[in-house]
Parts: sequence; C-alpha cells; structure tokens
Amino acid sequence: MSGFFTSFFQWLSGIFFLKSAEIAIVGLQASGKTSFVNVIGSGQWSEDVVPTVGFIFRKVRKGNVTLKIWDVAGQPKFRSMWERYCHGVDAIVFIVDSADPEKFNTARFELHQLLSQSALGGVPLLVLGNKNDLDGHVPVKELIRDLQLDKITDRPVSCYSCSMKSQHNLDIVLQWLSGRSH
Amino acid sequence: MSLAMAFYKKEDESASGLSSYYNNKTTIIQEARVFNESPISPRKCRALLTRIVYLLYVGENFNTQEATTLFFGATKLFQHKDAALRQAVYLAIKELATTAENVMMLTSSIQKDMQPNAEVIYRPNAIRALCHIIDPSMAQGVERFFKAAIVDRNPSISSASLISAYHMFPQAKDVVKRWVNEAQEAVNIKTGGYFGSSVTGGGFFGGGSQSNAQTVPSSSNITQYHALGLLYLIRQQDRMAVTKMIQQLGGGKSGSGTTLKNAMALCMLIRYAAKVMEEDPNVQRQMVELLEGWLRHKSDMVNFEAARVLCEMKNVTPAQLTKSIAVLQLFLSSPKPVLKFAATRTLAALAVTHPSNVAACNVDLESLITDQNRSVATYAITTLLKTGNEASVDRLIKQITGFMSEISDEFKVIIVDAIRSLCLKFPAKHAAMLTFLSGVLRDEGGYDFKRAVVEAIFDMIKFISECKEQALSHLCEFIEDCEFTKLSVRILHLLGIEGPKASQPAKFIRFIYNRVVLENAPVRAAAVSSLAKFGLNSNDEALNQSVGVLLNRCLDDVDDEVRDRAAMYLKVFKKQTLVEPYVKEDSVLSLAALESKLVAYVKDPAASAQAFDVSGIPKISRAQAAAEAARPSSLDTIGVPSTQTGSSAAPPPTAAETQSAYAEQLAAVPSFEPYGAVLNSSTRLAELSESETEYQVTCVKHIFKEHVVFQFNVSNTIPDTVLEQVTVAMATSEDSGLTQDFILPIPSLTATSSPGITYVSFTRDVPTDYATASFPCTLQFVSKELDPTTGEPEEEGYEDEYQLEEVELSAGGDYIVPSYASFGSEWDRMKGGPSVTETFGLGAAVDSLKAACDSIIEVLNMEPLGGTESPTSSSVHTLQLSGLVTGGGGKVLVRCRMTFSQGVGVTLELGVRAEHQDVCQLVVNAVGG
Repeated sequence: MSGFFTSFFQWLSGIFFLKSAEIAIVGLQASGKTSFVNVIGSGQWSEDVVPTVGFIFRKVRKGNVTLKIWDVAGQPKFRSMWERYCHGVDAIVFIVDSADPEKFNTARFELHQLLSQSALGGVPLLVLGNKNDLDGHVPVKELIRDLQLDKITDRPVSCYSCSMKSQHNLDIVLQWLSGRSH
Repeated sequence: MSLAMAFYKKEDESASGLSSYYNNKTTIIQEARVFNESPISPRKCRALLTRIVYLLYVGENFNTQEATTLFFGATKLFQHKDAALRQAVYLAIKELATTAENVMMLTSSIQKDMQPNAEVIYRPNAIRALCHIIDPSMAQGVERFFKAAIVDRNPSISSASLISAYHMFPQAKDVVKRWVNEAQEAVNIKTGGYFGSSVTGGGFFGGGSQSNAQTVPSSSNITQYHALGLLYLIRQQDRMAVTKMIQQLGGGKSGSGTTLKNAMALCMLIRYAAKVMEEDPNVQRQMVELLEGWLRHKSDMVNFEAARVLCEMKNVTPAQLTKSIAVLQLFLSSPKPVLKFAATRTLAALAVTHPSNVAACNVDLESLITDQNRSVATYAITTLLKTGNEASVDRLIKQITGFMSEISDEFKVIIVDAIRSLCLKFPAKHAAMLTFLSGVLRDEGGYDFKRAVVEAIFDMIKFISECKEQALSHLCEFIEDCEFTKLSVRILHLLGIEGPKASQPAKFIRFIYNRVVLENAPVRAAAVSSLAKFGLNSNDEALNQSVGVLLNRCLDDVDDEVRDRAAMYLKVFKKQTLVEPYVKEDSVLSLAALESKLVAYVKDPAASAQAFDVSGIPKISRAQAAAEAARPSSLDTIGVPSTQTGSSAAPPPTAAETQSAYAEQLAAVPSFEPYGAVLNSSTRLAELSESETEYQVTCVKHIFKEHVVFQFNVSNTIPDTVLEQVTVAMATSEDSGLTQDFILPIPSLTATSSPGITYVSFTRDVPTDYATASFPCTLQFVSKELDPTTGEPEEEGYEDEYQLEEVELSAGGDYIVPSYASFGSEWDRMKGGPSVTETFGLGAAVDSLKAACDSIIEVLNMEPLGGTESPTSSSVHTLQLSGLVTGGGGKVLVRCRMTFSQGVGVTLELGVRAEHQDVCQLVVNAVGG
C-alpha cells in the first residue's frame, strides 16, 4: 500500500515539479555519444552503432526531469556545426574515448575551440572519459591534465570517468545533468 | 453605411501594405529567432515557415548565408512533435536545401523520421526531403530501407520513396538501378490492396492512441505513375527493355488487360511508346495496335494522348489517322474547354501535313470560330485556313480581324504564320491578305509578333511579284513609326535591294531619308546604305544627283559608322570601277571559316605581328550564304505548335564547322603547339578500311605551315578485346619531300572508348613546296583479351598488324580549297600573272564531258562557277573553277576547255592562272598525274 502511495506521490510531484534541461553532446567520432543517448534513453547498449550524420534529437524523461538532447556528429566535417547546436543549451557534454590517448590532442583542440565562442560563455561543461571498462584507459586526473580542463575558468566544469557498456558511473552523470534542470 | 465602406477600404489597403511588410526577406530573417525560443510555439513557427516558402515561391533569392541560417534554424524544430509543424519544416528545408550549406547535417534526423516506428505522417515527408539533402555517397546506406519503402502498403510512402529514388538517380545511378524489381512490384500493385490490408498494417496505426494525424489513403493509384517514371528512368538507355515494358503494361491488343489503373501512368506509357516508335520503326506496327486500343479507353486524357501520338507519328498514313481524328472530332463538341483546346491544337498541327484528313472536322471547327475561349478560336481558324478552299479565305480573314486585338501575342504569331503560308497557297488572294497584314502591323504588339508580320510581307515580296510595290509602301509606312531597330534595319536593307527596281524609285527616298534625320545610329547607317543603292543601281541622272546631295549631308553625322558609310559610297559614286566589287559583288566571305581563322589568329600571340590576311578565307556566293543562314521557319513548318523542336535532328555540320572542330582537337595536343595555326584540314574522311571489318580506320590530313599531320581515327569493334599502343606505320619514300617526326599512339582502345585518335606528324622539308605523295599504311597494336568477369585485360597480349589502304597527300582537298569568285573579271585581272596552259587527252575511260567535269572537280577540289559543272553541249564545253591555296598561296583559277568526240574521248586544254608559278605546276601535275 505504501508502495502505491510512494509511486502515486512521485507521479504527482512529476506533474507539479516537472523540470527540463536542454543539453548538447559533442566529441570526436566514435567516442560514444550516440551510445550515451541510447543508454540513458532506453538502457540499451549495442556494439554496432551507425555513425551519426549531422545530428539526432532525442527527448528523455528521468524522474521529474525532461532532458532534450542534441546528439551532434563528431566527424571532422561536422565539427564546425557544433556551435550551432550548443547555442542556448543548459549544459555541454563533451565525451572522450579515454582508451585512445592518441586522440587527446585533437579532442583538446576541438574542445577549447568550441569553448572560445563568446556566445557559449558560462555554459556548464561536463567531460566524460568514456570506455573505462577497457584496459589501458586513462584515469580522470590525467584526462584533466591532457585536456587542460584546469585552464577553463569561466564556467563550472566537471569530469568523470565512466563506461556506457558497464554503465559505470552513469548514476552520477545523470545526477549532474538533473542538477542543470530548471 | 458609407463609413463602413470607407473603413473596409482602408483595411484593405493596410492589409496589402502589411502583407508586403510581413513578407519581406529582412523581416523574416529577423523573426527566425522564434525557431530558437523555448518552448517552441508551433503556430508561430509554421506561420514563419509558410512565409519563407511563399517568398521562395514568388522568386525571392536568399543568399547562401541567409539560407543556411534559416535552414539550421528550421532544424531546431525537430525537437517538437507537432505533425503539422513537421510537415512545414520539411517543405521549407526542401526549398532551402539547394542554396544552404552543409544540408547533409540533417541526414540522420530525417532517417530517424523515415523509420517504420515513426509517426505515419512523418514518413513520406521525410522520404521526400531525403533526396534533397543526402550525399550521393550515402545512397548505398539507405538501400535496404528504400527497397522496403517502395513496396510499402501505404501509397504515400511508396510514392514518396519512388519520387525520392527518381531524384537520386542522376547522382547514384548504380544504387538506384538495383531497386528495379521493387519499382516493378509497385507498378503492379493491385487496386484496393491497401484498403484490405490497412487494418493489419502495424506501421500505419502503430502509434495508436496518440497519433491522431492519420493519412487519408488515396485511391488514385498515383503510385503506378511514379513507379513507371522510375522504371523508365532506369531503363531508358535500353530500348529493348522499354519496348518489353510497354508491351507488358500495355495489356494486349485491346488495352483492356493492362494493370495500369492510373490515367497519368497510361499517358506516360503512351509517350514512351511514341519515343520507342520514333527510334525504331520496326516496332511501329505493334505500338500502333496498342495505341488504337487506348483510343477506346474510358479516360479522356488517355484517349487524347493516344490520338495525339498517332497524329504526330512519322510517315503516318491517312488510313491510320481516321480513328484518332474521329476521337478528336468528338472532343471538339465537348463542353470542356481543355478538351476543345487540346483537340484544336493537335488538329492545327496535323493540318499542315494532312489537310484533307482534317477537313472532315471542318463543320465542327466552324462552330468553334466564335468560341468564347480565344485560344480555341485561334487554333480553329488557323486549322480552317489550312484545310479550307480559296472561297472561304475572305470570310475567315474578316473573322480573325474581329478578335485580333483580344488575343495574346503568341497566338497572333500563329495566325500571321498561317496567313503567310496561305498567301503562297492562294496567290490570287494576296490583296486581302496584304491588307490584313498591314492592318495588324499598325496594331500594338511585341517584337516577335511584328517580326512575324514583317517576315510574312517579305515572303510576299519575294514570291508574289504583283504585290511587290504595294507591300514595299506598307513597309515604308511601318518604319515611319517602328520602335524595333532590328526590324527597321532589315526593312531598309530590303528597300535598298527591291526599291531601285520599282517603277518609281524616287518615292521611297523620302521615307529612307526621314530615317537618316530621325532615327538612332544603326538605323541611320542602314538608311545610308539603302540610299546609296538607289543612286548606284539606277540610270536616272537626276535621282543620282539628289542621292549624292543627301549622302553629302550625312557626312556631318555624329556617328562614325554613318559617316564612314556615306563617305565610302560617295567615293564609289565618283569612281564607277568600284561599283562592281563594293555594291554589286555577289560573293561574301564564308563566315564560319572567317570566324575559325580569326579565333586562331587571336589565340596565337606570335601572329599579331602581322595583319590578319583576309585573302586566305574562301568565299561563297550569296545564294550559298543565304542557304546556310536559312531561317528554319520555312513555309512547311508554319503554324505547327512547337512541340517537336527538341527532337528534330541538328543539321549536319558544314565544312567550316568541321574545320574549326579539328582545330580545337589539334590545339588540345601539346606536341602541335609550336606548329602554329592549322592552315587546312581535309574535309573528306578518307576510309582506309572496309566498313564491316573488325578495325575501322579513317584519315584526316592537317596542313601546317611547315608540317603535315595525319590524323587516324581508329575504331575497335570487337567487344572483349583491348588494343594497346595503337599506331599507324606509314612507309615514306625518299623523294617525297616529307620527313617523319613522331607518332602519338593510342595507349588503350576498347569498343566503348572507340574511336580513338592517333597522329603521325611529318615535317615539310621545303615549306614552300607542295609535296604530294602516297603512303602505304599499316595499323599496329598489341591485342589483349578482356576477362569477362572482371573486365580487366589479361597480362599477356600479342602484337598484331592490319593492312590499310594507301593514304594520299594531293593537290585537291589538301592544298586547294574551293572558293567563290566572279570568274570573268578575275580571269582577266590575273592575265599578267603566272599561268600555264597544257593539253591532255583523258583517254577512253572518260566517256562524256559530264564525267570529265566531275573527275576534274573531284581531283582539284575547286568551286565550279556559273553552273559550268554540267555541260550543255555534248561535244564542246568550258569548265570554270576557282579555289584558294592554303598557306598564303593565293587565288587560283582554272579554265578547262574540253572537246569530246566518239572514239577519241575527251581532249582537255587546261589553263591555270595563279599568284605563284608553283601553284600552276601543282594543278597541272594533279590533273596530269
């Protein structure tokens, strides 16, 4: 009985305290952006995901928070378009393949390029070091150093190591995202 | 009450003012902010999208940046689910996709909307938008999806994917070609199949509770039309496949067995049938049977299309026409204006070739003369003009005059053209027609209309001599108030030619001189030339003097051209010997040859040190020039609706055009760059092989200042072999005066890449000599077989060679080109120059004077003058020839006096006069050798 009341209460508070957040997900190709959306959207992880051409829009509801997600493609020809879809969002999520340190240089360059756009000043940034289920992945500390996240001073920045496959750390990521809702 | 009206009026005005404010590009780009608002207002966004599409529709141009901004603004709207908004978004992005940048950004989003689990209203819209934004390289990726969508049970999805495939075809031929089976299935879809299965169609009602936007299933079977279009696009290169498709879908003799339910699809099929029939006469009989079946189809559209195709068929017999004319006749009395218009238009075209068959409809056409639709009435009258007899002409002309002011210019042109052909058919009626034409000339009208009238009057002047003076004075009056410079100039030119021959030339002078006083510079210049011709062509001393006075006044004109012309003609007046070459000269430069030489002159920077030499350009007579520039609107095509202009074959290229084409080809080969401009290319292709052999070779010779280049066009007709290192070996003799420089081989030649070109270049040892020789030739190559599976050539080939006919380098065609001249005066003028006279017996092989003439003309390749190529007497004849020698050799004239007697054959006395002695020798050797 109490379970029924609890769920009823949640449903009610869902109606009255409905919040939403708009987030843009960027990052180099094959870093796991579309997988991230799939995992938080439907909880399903799949080995083969078709490369995104352009962008995909998804709406995901978690508790009383509705997330509007712009999942933008990461291939070089689309990177100039990131800015368009980061406009007016509540948070930018930058995903890095933490098991592929060779690409860190490019990732850092693209990230700082994006953040230098004046229109995006102050937008909170979340950096995810994905694929920490693989051997040889880079821990968070080194990631912060390699991406020079400590040099970003004009906005809140968080950095987590996580895995879409094992769903490790996804709960704190979602918590962080919910914190950006209004 | 009056207040209310005033209020309404005011509101009206402000509304129109507002609409121009609302629908203004800058405002719209400003307002595109609503796309970024949160939450999105579907109503506002839809309104804005509508205005964007509206602006594009009325022809407003958005530049790339503006279009890109709007495009990406619109993509933000994908976050909203509203179906109507999504449709509007798709409409707008389809329109913007052509100008915006990076449109492929949308590919994944659109593909998400295309999926079977998407809302049903999204799917067709998404599929149609996809072909506008997809990158051709990604077509492969959507292949599986399209194969399923084409055969989808929902006709909107099926149609949308067929159309999308149709638009993708040009960029992704190979991928789309693989969808042919699905398209075939879509054509054969059963009617009502959709209704029966829609209940189980999970994708359609899948959304269930939420999706209230349902599509209304269409019962028009339009999918068949779209599928047929795609099938044809895929198969159009393969005539056999198209023929088979027509027979399959045509449904047998009566046409009743056809699976095509859609009338538009059937109309398309009829058009394809027409095209197949035109390309391949062998299938005509089967196609005609099918078409006759369709004449009885239950749809008017199909009946008409079949009737029209039958009427426009090549070599149609009167018997084949009866049925389709009967159908058209039925349409004539239909209450629907569209049918009446279609039928009269087709009959008007048919009346040009088969007036007697169309005459069967005369009664029905008569009743349409007064039809309230003027277009129908116009076609009815023009048809009657062609089918009618002389007696009805006056009445019809009166009828036309009645509504001439009510119809558009295009129809006026049609009527004028009909009258023009009528004049020549019934010359006795010229008075009435001339009155009509001069009447309409005074009406308001655009350039095309006025030109049609003027050309009609020109034709009357040319062909009906009785009305000449009358027509000229009508034209004189017209130029008094003519706003079209081009027409004034043409009329003045004609007055200059025809006026002096009139009984009272003086009366035209006033009209012409008025132009000198009143008009713009081009007209004044034309008027001066025209005036001068009056003076120079008449023997009336008083007239000559007054023309002289008028020309003197023109010397003070503000325009250079006018002054120059006046001065030149005054000079000609004073020196009568100039009249012949400048006013009465009947030859003109061959314009095409002049153009190609000038282009070569301008392109070659070294050549500009010397003035351009005009004497190297062949001349042609005025009659030839007129034939070359012939207006295509000759009498037989008049009044035909111009539906077939696209299909008519281009006229064969003239000699000069071929020359300039060769010059371009040669200019593309870097090795020939130092050779300078090509002086002459032989106009005839010399066939060096039999026409049915495996390897076909033709030869063209190009003469340069110091070189000779032989161009061999080689065709490989064996499908599964490739020839590599293809060359032609030419055996040269010591004393030919030519030294071989190099050979440019064809690296690889297959049946599809044929013909290829290989060049052999020689140096002329003494460039001023005209070296003549003949060369035995051999085609040499390495032959390799193609692997039938991979299409790759084998590693090992074998060397082979192939004997060719000999190539001749001779006087006629290689060094001498035909050129027109007035023989009498030129022959006398060149009396003092180099000349040679020799006598030959042509032997018994030449058995008539005509044969002798033909062979001499062929050997020398010179222009016969004054009709001397066909002898009038059987015993004595003089053949006069004129030509130009390439490379600055100048003119050459040949007089061949011939006698013929039985037994002895033809005896020839060859007289040559030229500007250089060696040219004379060249000609004599060519005939004697």
